[in-house]
Amino acid sequence: MSNIESWDWEIKEKMLAEPAKWKDQFEDVWEPYISPDGEKIASIVKIGEGEFNICVNGNTWEEPFEKMWYSRFSPDGRLTALISKDMEWTLAVDGVALEETYEYIWETKFSADGKTIAAIVRQESGYGILVNGKVWECPIKLESIASHVISSDGKTSAVIAQTVAVAEADVNAFTKGSWSVVVNGKPWKDNYVDVYGLAISNDGQRFAAEYRNSICEYGIVVDEKPWNEKFGCTWEPVFHPNKSDEITVPVRQGGQWLLATNGRIVWDKGFFSLLYQTYSPDGNNIAAAVAPQFAKWTVAVNGQPWSITFGECVQKPCFSPDGRKIAVIAKDSGKWLLVVDGTVLGKDYDNIWQPVFSPNGDKVICKVEKNGKYAVAVNGEIRGNDYEALWNPVVSPDGTKVMICGVEGGKYYRKVVLLSDI
Amino acid sequence: MKPTIVKREPVVDDALDQCEARLTEEEIEKVINEVIDKETGGRLWTYVNTCIHCGLCAEACHWYLSNDRDVSFAPVTKVKDTIWVMLEKKGKVDAAFIKRCSQIAHTECNLCRRCGMYCPFGIDIAYMLLVVRRICAKLGMVPLYLQDTVHSHAATMNQMWVKPDEWIDTLQWQEEEAQGYVPSARLPLEKEGAEIMYSVIGPEPKFLAQLLGNITVIMKVAGLDWTMPATAGWDNSNMAMYSGDFEIMARVERLHHETAQRLKVKKIVMGECGHAFRGAQYDGPTWMGWMKPPIPIVHAIEFYYDLIKSGRIKIAKKAEGPITSQYPCNVIRNAGLGSKLQYIMSAVCENFVDLIPNDRHAFCCNAGGGTINCGPPWKKLRVQSARLQSENFKRTGAHTIVTPCHNCHSGVEDIVDKYKLGMHVKFFSELLIEAMEIPEHLKPKEEEAE
Repeated sequence: MSNIESWDWEIKEKMLAEPAKWKDQFEDVWEPYISPDGEKIASIVKIGEGEFNICVNGNTWEEPFEKMWYSRFSPDGRLTALISKDMEWTLAVDGVALEETYEYIWETKFSADGKTIAAIVRQESGYGILVNGKVWECPIKLESIASHVISSDGKTSAVIAQTVAVAEADVNAFTKGSWSVVVNGKPWKDNYVDVYGLAISNDGQRFAAEYRNSICEYGIVVDEKPWNEKFGCTWEPVFHPNKSDEITVPVRQGGQWLLATNGRIVWDKGFFSLLYQTYSPDGNNIAAAVAPQFAKWTVAVNGQPWSITFGECVQKPCFSPDGRKIAVIAKDSGKWLLVVDGTVLGKDYDNIWQPVFSPNGDKVICKVEKNGKYAVAVNGEIRGNDYEALWNPVVSPDGTKVMICGVEGGKYYRKVVLLSDI
Repeated sequence: MKPTIVKREPVVDDALDQCEARLTEEEIEKVINEVIDKETGGRLWTYVNTCIHCGLCAEACHWYLSNDRDVSFAPVTKVKDTIWVMLEKKGKVDAAFIKRCSQIAHTECNLCRRCGMYCPFGIDIAYMLLVVRRICAKLGMVPLYLQDTVHSHAATMNQMWVKPDEWIDTLQWQEEEAQGYVPSARLPLEKEGAEIMYSVIGPEPKFLAQLLGNITVIMKVAGLDWTMPATAGWDNSNMAMYSGDFEIMARVERLHHETAQRLKVKKIVMGECGHAFRGAQYDGPTWMGWMKPPIPIVHAIEFYYDLIKSGRIKIAKKAEGPITSQYPCNVIRNAGLGSKLQYIMSAVCENFVDLIPNDRHAFCCNAGGGTINCGPPWKKLRVQSARLQSENFKRTGAHTIVTPCHNCHSGVEDIVDKYKLGMHVKFFSELLIEAMEIPEHLKPKEEEAE
């Protein structure tokens, strides 16, 4: 989130819009999105046959478009949407469409400060990445782009791309390798049968991905150089938060899942399943969702599983800012639970969103859903009102306040509450 | 054991032929023993050691019955000629043998599990043939077109090489088509927190896009809060499960289920496909270590049953004339949705003529289990071996066969064509869209309709 310090952390409550009334103004109103600072709420609205606009705090953009979708706020609060005009597609930012148009455009992504906006485009010459209004120059035609990543500083973007055309049912050509990674328009030298899980280091300098070389031979390639070790399967690699030369990956060997760092097995235990390895903020600890046995899910920290297990699943673990606590959302008997350090906190819910910790880690705050209503839960217990719509709470930089944005009685409110009060 | 007398017309499958030329006996032995030692256990040995070779399974198999009781097609023969030999010889077999194993396991068995119902000991013969497929897949011995489909899953996470932009573009096009029937219909993309994520199989955007328009209308009329992903993870099908490439199977299923979790939906509703249900409900989650999918998954038959039974969808005009239905093995025999299929068929048809045998005892369309994906080289024998089911269809006197499964749909079309049945083949949603009531307030205004 960009410039979070400059957000309004003083005014306790603002009623910024009445989205319920928009339904009377427009033929159709789509689901709303809010700006990161909570000051704006926006929905794509249908204003007539083949005419769409976007309504922001009650005001529409000047120009409507034939089609619109994927409205998303950038971290610096600009509103973007993918729009179609004269049967061509492009990106619009705060109501202004780029002059250049494309056969298609999708998957808008942002740098951490929001200054860089990127999306995948299809044009006559193939596929590419649009970065701040300019498409990459790439020496080869990209036949398809499966996914893209952007560095937090916005200077680098990379894709998993099909770099060689393969004719229908040409399995030999496919197994020679037709997929690779392209960084800022420059393809890696080697192609692979498949490439998955492209990751970028925090400093934006290094890239790692899973690759497959044959039916059951998987490996990790880092900046074009594959690890020496091969595995029966892998999941997506993750970079150490501060050391871009350390990469950790779940790998499958001998019918069990293990954790490997830079090719070396680092946990002494294997698991039936191992997913979502996550470094603590200082990088000294790793937590992951694991199943020590079939259908018994928990979190392992540095290889040691919690004693509590859950029958259905465990999602990605989340460390407190000081790295001493770990929260995770788990599912058991059809209900979602918030679990911190191996203990279920509070009640069960129909849905729980990714939790955030208070700065000292004593409170875990999250959006929850129960019986069709949304609320903020602290340590698993609902605090305050129910909402018709609610967004993830945000803790202020000084850790004393929480911004809660939601729709109540058809009105959109931005509230700032003291953390000590909830 | 006496060798089986096998009479087959020669079939050229380049992938199998090339693999046969490449494989070494050392490699074969290593892979067979790896799979047997590390990926199987008591289940396989119990099945192998319990079988008394009575042959009762043969009478359950449409391949055997459609081929004049040729014993080489009997389920017991299929295991005798594959896994039993591998076990007896401790993996010391040659490439020609592995090629024959692939022919048997991939192209002459649908893993429909009917034989297991008639085995006096309940031996899951299909499981043993899936182990054979696994060994073949690890050796690269997979029929060409099936392997190509698996490559598509691996590269694109969908079955039909559909690129991400083609997927989204198709959904937006079908939303417009749906608005021709119901102007306010919407196909919501990436709507976090919707009640339902609707997922389909690759052929829908590729060849049968109108089905996406149909569901958009049905969802609107039923007043449901739903969404579809604009990312990979939208395809619920899984031919890797059938080739034996379980790592790719798991990757596809993981993405499907994680997409539903990312969208924070309460359930996944899937279109009309049987094998996709098996992959998404059973095989994929099991490999991942999930007892069941993290987000519950509902097959189209059950979904339509709930809509009709609850009155969310009302039937205005039933389809006329005799209509029958195929019973997809993976959702009927293996998931128990037979009575719900009968209910929805009776709800939308004036004269639903049931198959004999029906429900759990119904025969496979002979396209399932990945056999239709083995492609043109294997089509002749596949359709010839569906003769029994063609006779069952013919006896119904129906003008239309409903197939709530994509593989059944294609397989039954082949049957209708080969045996000149003169019947139409439709998905259930195609009948429903014609039969259901569209409330007045949702209909196009007169000037729009004109």
